[in-house]
Amino acid sequence: MSKAILIALVLGIGAGVIMPEGVSGFLDTASSYMLLILLFSVGIDMGVNREVFGQIRRMGLRILVIPLGVILGSLAGGAICAMILRMDVKEGLAITSGLGWYSLSGILMTEAGNPIGGTISFLSNVFREVLTFLLVPVLAGRNVYTAIAPAGATAMDTTLPLLSKYTDSKTAILAFVSGVICTLAMPVLVPLFC
Amino acid sequence: MAKIFIVLALGFVVGFRGILKEKGLKINAKLQTVWLMLLIFCMGVSIGRNGDIIQALPSLGGKALLYAVLAVIGSIVAVYLLTKVFLRKGAKE
Repeated sequence: MSKAILIALVLGIGAGVIMPEGVSGFLDTASSYMLLILLFSVGIDMGVNREVFGQIRRMGLRILVIPLGVILGSLAGGAICAMILRMDVKEGLAITSGLGWYSLSGILMTEAGNPIGGTISFLSNVFREVLTFLLVPVLAGRNVYTAIAPAGATAMDTTLPLLSKYTDSKTAILAFVSGVICTLAMPVLVPLFC
Repeated sequence: MAKIFIVLALGFVVGFRGILKEKGLKINAKLQTVWLMLLIFCMGVSIGRNGDIIQALPSLGGKALLYAVLAVIGSIVAVYLLTKVFLRKGAKE
């Protein structure tokens, strides 16, 4: 299944490069509406399994360990990467604080006066989303919680349908919660390290 | 963000109220798969048409990829460890 995703993605990227502006612009706009329709469909799956909410309520605040792990793990990865690349560790932390939300994270860094860091952040968070598409089917078969990890902030929107498809309704809700918390944390974290 | 909450909630109500019967749910699942592939294709298009991405790729792409890979590995490891400790019961329930 990862293969099908990779093919769809590569075909899309190729098409985006060669397509006329007008067509690709239309598809770009269309994709945000397609996402909303897909999320409606995901919502149906979540609602059907009534016992899920009881399970999640019993987990209580412990569900927060997932976004906590996503954020701490991303920061650790950013710090290690900065050391490998001999860059400023704070810059590395700012880059991976993007948590996959590429449209905003790069801009925040650029506006803070670091356009090169901003571009790296933008690209690396695009890559993070792409990696998520490829990794979710693989990770979901082993440990559903770890499938949420690469998604970061995108777990509440663009990668939620994928997570819902490859895991179960309970994990999809945990993923959504994790995505919301990462989305709220990102605009706080990035400026902290800029 | 509000739109996302609204469509999810609407879908949730449809699912919770049992408006779709078994057959409808099966169709929903099948449509989801096709729709998901279409969406991933369109996301590829968004990446491919974005001049900023394609332009910056040769000079900063390698560094950016390393950041992405390490952030993803870090997240997987941290989530794995934290859920092992704190959500063990949750997983069994």
